[in-house]
Amino acid sequence: MLRILAAALLGLVPAHLVYAETAADPLQSPVWNDLARKTFGDAAVVFDGRVKVTVPAIVENQAQVPVSADARGLANVERLIVLTDLNPIQHVLTITPAQSKAEAYISFRLKIEQATPVRAAALTSDGVWHVGGVFLEAAGGGCSSPAMARGDADWTATLGNAQGKVWRQADGTARLRLRVRHPMDTGLAKDNTPAFFIEKFDVKGASGDPLATVEMFEPVAEDPTITLSIKPAASDASINIDGRDNNGNIYRSVVPAPWNQSALTTTSGH
Amino acid sequence: MKSLKWLATASVLALSVCAAPAFADVSIEDIVNDAKTTNDVVTAGLGGQAQRYSPLKSVNKDNVGGLVPAWAMSLGGEKMRGQESQPLVKDGVMYITGSYSRIWAIDVKTGRELWQYDHRLPEGILPCCDVVNRGAALVGKTVVFGTLDAKLVSLDQKTGKVVWTKEIDDFKGGYSYTASPLIVPSKAHGPLIVTGVSGGEFGIVGRVEARKAETGDLVWSRPTIEGHVGTLNGKPSTMTGDKVNASWPGDLWKTGGGATWLGGTYDSDTNLIFMGTGNPAPWNSHMRPGDNKWSCSRIALDPETGDIKWGYQTTPNDGWDFDGVNEVVAFDADGKKLAATADRNGFFYVLDRTNGKYVNATPFVEKITWAKEIGKDGRPVYNADNRPGDPKGSKDGKKGTEVFAIPSFLGGKNQQPMAYSPDTKLFYVPANEWGMNIHNEPVTYKKGAAYLGAGFTIKPTFEDHIGALKAIDPATGKIVWQNNNKAPLWGGVLTTGGGLVFYGTPEGELKAVDDATGKELWSFNTGSGVVAPPITWEQDGEQMVTVISGWGGAVPLWGGEVAKTVANLNQGGMVWTFKLPKKVAAK
Repeated sequence: MLRILAAALLGLVPAHLVYAETAADPLQSPVWNDLARKTFGDAAVVFDGRVKVTVPAIVENQAQVPVSADARGLANVERLIVLTDLNPIQHVLTITPAQSKAEAYISFRLKIEQATPVRAAALTSDGVWHVGGVFLEAAGGGCSSPAMARGDADWTATLGNAQGKVWRQADGTARLRLRVRHPMDTGLAKDNTPAFFIEKFDVKGASGDPLATVEMFEPVAEDPTITLSIKPAASDASINIDGRDNNGNIYRSVVPAPWNQSALTTTSGH
Repeated sequence: MKSLKWLATASVLALSVCAAPAFADVSIEDIVNDAKTTNDVVTAGLGGQAQRYSPLKSVNKDNVGGLVPAWAMSLGGEKMRGQESQPLVKDGVMYITGSYSRIWAIDVKTGRELWQYDHRLPEGILPCCDVVNRGAALVGKTVVFGTLDAKLVSLDQKTGKVVWTKEIDDFKGGYSYTASPLIVPSKAHGPLIVTGVSGGEFGIVGRVEARKAETGDLVWSRPTIEGHVGTLNGKPSTMTGDKVNASWPGDLWKTGGGATWLGGTYDSDTNLIFMGTGNPAPWNSHMRPGDNKWSCSRIALDPETGDIKWGYQTTPNDGWDFDGVNEVVAFDADGKKLAATADRNGFFYVLDRTNGKYVNATPFVEKITWAKEIGKDGRPVYNADNRPGDPKGSKDGKKGTEVFAIPSFLGGKNQQPMAYSPDTKLFYVPANEWGMNIHNEPVTYKKGAAYLGAGFTIKPTFEDHIGALKAIDPATGKIVWQNNNKAPLWGGVLTTGGGLVFYGTPEGELKAVDDATGKELWSFNTGSGVVAPPITWEQDGEQMVTVISGWGGAVPLWGGEVAKTVANLNQGGMVWTFKLPKKVAAK
């Protein structure tokens, strides 16, 4: 296998067979080849140090692990995805900037079932996936434990309640942070709760111009808390986020985007 | 090596894609004509009129004894409660719902699951009578079903992904949804999804609603209780009844009940939606002298506006929980457009379906105590001493006089649908012979709390049986034959051009009997109680029969003495599909 890989790198086998044969995995994951094939098909894949994943050195809560995926070192990123090799559900989320209206960056919180590589993969406009990642050491169980909401007498009362804030930056970007109350059930907990998770946030300017789309899956932690770097128009007085979960519930949040620092603002609705 | 392996996988994938079912839109014509098309079942009731009759006859009296399972599929999980769902079949795909608001698509050739959607239910749902669902509806590219937290969910037939979700009402107020939605045509709004509401024991006000099939947007709403005003296109429309309080005292109409929990049927001949309405609230009838319209009634609605075209009340001033929800089945006889319904109150009614006028009514269960008969004016002739007494008349004011009444509040017939054969001109009614001790207690309304004001316990009328499948001649009310069953019948009935009547029992059997005599010709033990209606259709030239097995429903929860007859029945959740082996079919 190693020999074939080397040959592929030297261009000695036809290009269309290279798809699953990425270079040796720096994280030495037992499932990387299968995961890469499933995720990238026959697209070209390179390991690239400019795609950075940041995780804490010590995991305090395997149901809420802070993760940053950052591919701002690359130009022309069309999509950024986050993968966890050894989670029962490997694909965590995908962020798609709308015509460079958002940077290739996301921070969020992750559930992990066991210690695993956490990777980010950025698709650049030349069709190449650039992959970076780290190995996250942790105790397990984050995906198969019931959500905290399960212990709540009535989680539907707060479902979809949102908090958000926008910080305008001097370089024209803006940092958006949003938290929406949602159990984000994986469907894997032994209490038989079915999968129930927000599957999409459409982030738009006040006028409705799309800025970015975030697709999410079950491993995103309960009460999803995401941070994006967006590029709203100067005239956008607010950022509108339309969310939807896999049960078809709609969540709409409006976060003020003033030029001066705003107080923490709470919005809600579902 | 690696690339070879990959190629092999790819070719297997290509093969399964070729064999995958072809999904075509379910048009409103498909829905209206469902009773005539034998290669699919796209409506609850095998046609809007809900006759549950299929003209198929390749399985018939001569060969039904050879029926064998083609496949079975488990509903899985630890959520095996009552399965009351009627399957739907279109283009080789079966759509079924199950307990705890779950829905599946299954490949009918292999019995393999194509997709499953589990609705995330809040912990605080308030279903009165088990966590059941009675089936989905197909329209366009979508399949629609209701949930126990009172939502209507539309899913893509192909993928099982949610297209839209609409809240029917707040589950915390006692609302839930268990019926199969009804699809009806309309000129002004296109295909409509018509639904009722569940929650009759929690003081809700029943209503019928119509939504656009594509978006779920509400078109009209029709409250069932006199004095409440409906809506059309977002604006107030007409009031139900002629005036507020015509048949209600004081403010009780505001929490008057009349839940439309069993859904409805649609008759394209008269272009009317027939809905049944539940008991008035609270149960204590002395608190609400008057007819209490339109509780315990059948109402006919105009699909364009939701206006009530006619109403017929089976139990005015109900005091026994005789919900009038049971299905209205349209049929024609002697050139007349008629409809029949087998009421909870034990009488089998025939009405003129063009105007709701009473034609006749006869008892279909034995020893009815609450009424002597149904008079020529269509009103019951009450036995005054069989109405549970007013607690105010008692010494301490806490308990009214107790009576023993037949039928019990679970009814001569409950949710299990009957069938009509145009061949034999008989109705096949899954009936139950039981009565109840019942008394009234004082009660006040509190949102989301049970609003009964009654105590009750059920007792069988006979020692050896409760259930009885009865073949009824609607012209005379005569019971032509009956098959008794020890446990109460809670599944529905199917009849076919092959001269067969199919029905299930809580003991677990799916049976086929002779439609003329009731003689048992075939029986199969499904492993758990059957409380759902069977269907039949033709797949690639073979007649298939499907029923879902899974014991549960209201009987084990409310059954009193009756619970003994069902104590050893275990829960389950299995879809069974039967056909004839090819050599038997060829005989």
